[in-house]
Amino acid sequence: MLQQISDEGQKLPQAERRNFLKNGLLLAGSAMAGGTIGGKVSAADENLPPNVPAWTRSLGQGVLTNPYGKPSRFESNIKRRAVPWLTADRFASISFTPLAELDGIITPSSLVFERYHGGIPDIDPDDHRLMIHGKVDRPIILTVDDLRRFPSTSMIRFLECPANGGMEWRAAQMDALQFTHGMLSCCEWTGVLLSTILQEVGLQKDAAWVLAEGADGAHMSRSIPLEKALDDALVVYAQNGEPLRPEQGYPIRLFNPGWEGNTSVKWLRRLEVGDKAWYHREETSKYTDLLADGRARKFSFLQECNSVVTFPCPEKPLRDKGRYEVEGLAWSGSGKIKRVDVSFDGGVNWRAAKLKGLILPKALTRFGLEWDWDGSPAMIQSRAVDETGYVQPTFTQLRAARGMSSIYHRNAIHTWRLQADGKVSNVQIS
Amino acid sequence: MFRLASLALIVAALGLSACAADAAGRNQVAGEITVTEANASVARSSGHFGYGQDASEAEIAGWDIDIRPDGVGLPPGGATAEDGEMLYEDQCALCHGSFGEGVGRYPVLAGGEGTLTDERPEKTVGSYWPYASTVWDYIHRAMPFTQPESLSDQEVYALTAYVLYLNDLVEYDFELTQDNLASIEMPNKDGFFLDDRPDTNNVACMSNCKDPASIRITSSPPVTEAVEPEVADPGVAEASDGRSIYEQACALCHAAGVGDAPIPGDASAWAERISAGREALIASALGGKGLMPPKGGQVQLSDEDVAAAVDYILELTAN
Repeated sequence: MLQQISDEGQKLPQAERRNFLKNGLLLAGSAMAGGTIGGKVSAADENLPPNVPAWTRSLGQGVLTNPYGKPSRFESNIKRRAVPWLTADRFASISFTPLAELDGIITPSSLVFERYHGGIPDIDPDDHRLMIHGKVDRPIILTVDDLRRFPSTSMIRFLECPANGGMEWRAAQMDALQFTHGMLSCCEWTGVLLSTILQEVGLQKDAAWVLAEGADGAHMSRSIPLEKALDDALVVYAQNGEPLRPEQGYPIRLFNPGWEGNTSVKWLRRLEVGDKAWYHREETSKYTDLLADGRARKFSFLQECNSVVTFPCPEKPLRDKGRYEVEGLAWSGSGKIKRVDVSFDGGVNWRAAKLKGLILPKALTRFGLEWDWDGSPAMIQSRAVDETGYVQPTFTQLRAARGMSSIYHRNAIHTWRLQADGKVSNVQIS
Repeated sequence: MFRLASLALIVAALGLSACAADAAGRNQVAGEITVTEANASVARSSGHFGYGQDASEAEIAGWDIDIRPDGVGLPPGGATAEDGEMLYEDQCALCHGSFGEGVGRYPVLAGGEGTLTDERPEKTVGSYWPYASTVWDYIHRAMPFTQPESLSDQEVYALTAYVLYLNDLVEYDFELTQDNLASIEMPNKDGFFLDDRPDTNNVACMSNCKDPASIRITSSPPVTEAVEPEVADPGVAEASDGRSIYEQACALCHAAGVGDAPIPGDASAWAERISAGREALIASALGGKGLMPPKGGQVQLSDEDVAAAVDYILELTAN
């Protein structure tokens, strides 16, 4: 029976191909003869009602066509992209998440932005070890299997590079949401609380900091205060239900919820407990925030409350006048998002948006607001408030507080300029 | 059960002490971490699960590479800038420039004194870095870019001394050692302060929040073509996948012509090399030539992989 169905299916596509060719030639013939084909007539119309498309009248591909799955071939535009001039090479570089193309709050593992400083190491998990030593009672070495034996914890939390939006300190520069805000993702992370591991090895009295170090060639290293290590820091082996992707730290990484992504050291190989910070390159030369007076903030870990409108945006213009749901994302390293307001007139008047779906601490939170577009130009902004009461600042306020050379932690209210033709572009306004 | 409960209390206590100014849970470092009795309580609960192996001193020594500003972690040794000069030229100048001026978008190492308040600050080792230990740690940890941990401790002392010398922080013949490195005073050592955000105080005004007439566009992106950057996905190198190997091991320098590396496709630059024959090209790629390290620094590659990359370059250049 199955064989019979299969045989029938084998025949159909051939018949479809013949029809398609025949129809195509007819259309071409009528066009060449100068006949009108009615504007809407195209080869695709044969898939539309009242016609029945080929895929409805044939067998599709069988199971295991793609054992680990992949998106529809019609979604090939959805991909991480890089800005070639941003970094010296592709090994200490960054790629951006296509936020305009995503829905809900979870970023698919394949689309989580990438940031590494010495390329992606190709690690055999059987040969990977996590060493915990320093000011502990019992220095140990864990295999990945050892780590997985500990009680696990899962949490949906955002991951953001503190340089997200950093290209826009001096002026609007990137005309795409992917590049203005795409160093941002949100996943379900699964692993073992670092506090569980530190409890296991026993902290000595003067323990105050933990150095996290990667197994990549860059040996990425950051000093993490013990209070964070004992709070919600997670040693992660899975994201969105699957093993970490190689570019996200396979087989294990550190994850510090709400903190700048750089502290969530990937390919984690070593945790050293100490009594002082190490002041390594990525917490002195980089990831410090230079202010206008020449001084710089250090250990500026927190990703403060931020938001952006994801529709419309430069990648998703409006087609016609009418009713739309304007959408966006809000997030705060301090906790839950309490409210988001949206302005269409550059911040003169604001309307409260609706928070949608899951509202979790230190996670992306989606908001939406129905809006009737009358075809007039608009300046669209969003402004998030988190549960601490902190209100996302205007760019003018942020620049007054910090100058223009901070590079990191630019969480200003963002402006999209909507033109009468529906096109959207990135602007900064007074 | 008791253990878990006590840990929860410890966490709560630490959280409160560190975030006293902010009860809503903003995780900020309010000051250097204070040591509490709580840590000792955690210590007493060691070994509940008993997973993993005890780490031996030898195992720890092989991985424990971190250096601190107070010099903790430095191995015995010492060298002068003079010792480091030729080494710097061989190992570092390709990307950082002979005077630390930086090549292309690679980091500038020297200069920039007094520019931190300028419109375009130049943040270098001399103008910005607070501690000399960070130079030693980073060179040893992550440099040279394609072959980290390939330098001896003596070489790291020599290069650290040379980078400090490029910044006029030590004399040419000053011997930098494990005993004096922590005493090198960096010009910007007092230039940093602990995170004191929030530093803005916006309010959620809902109507007539600003004068509409005051709104003007202060900047917009330069008009560019639709951004469709290169697809940067070399993937994992497959056996004899010449393109992937090239992307992984060769493109860093060859694609941009860094250090006079001939660019694939530039027939004239390759003419002489090609005339020496494929085997000679493969031999150079395997053994290194000039500034090019063996196998482009990717020592894990098989000889067949390297040959495949050479063939890929030849293919690009022939077309």
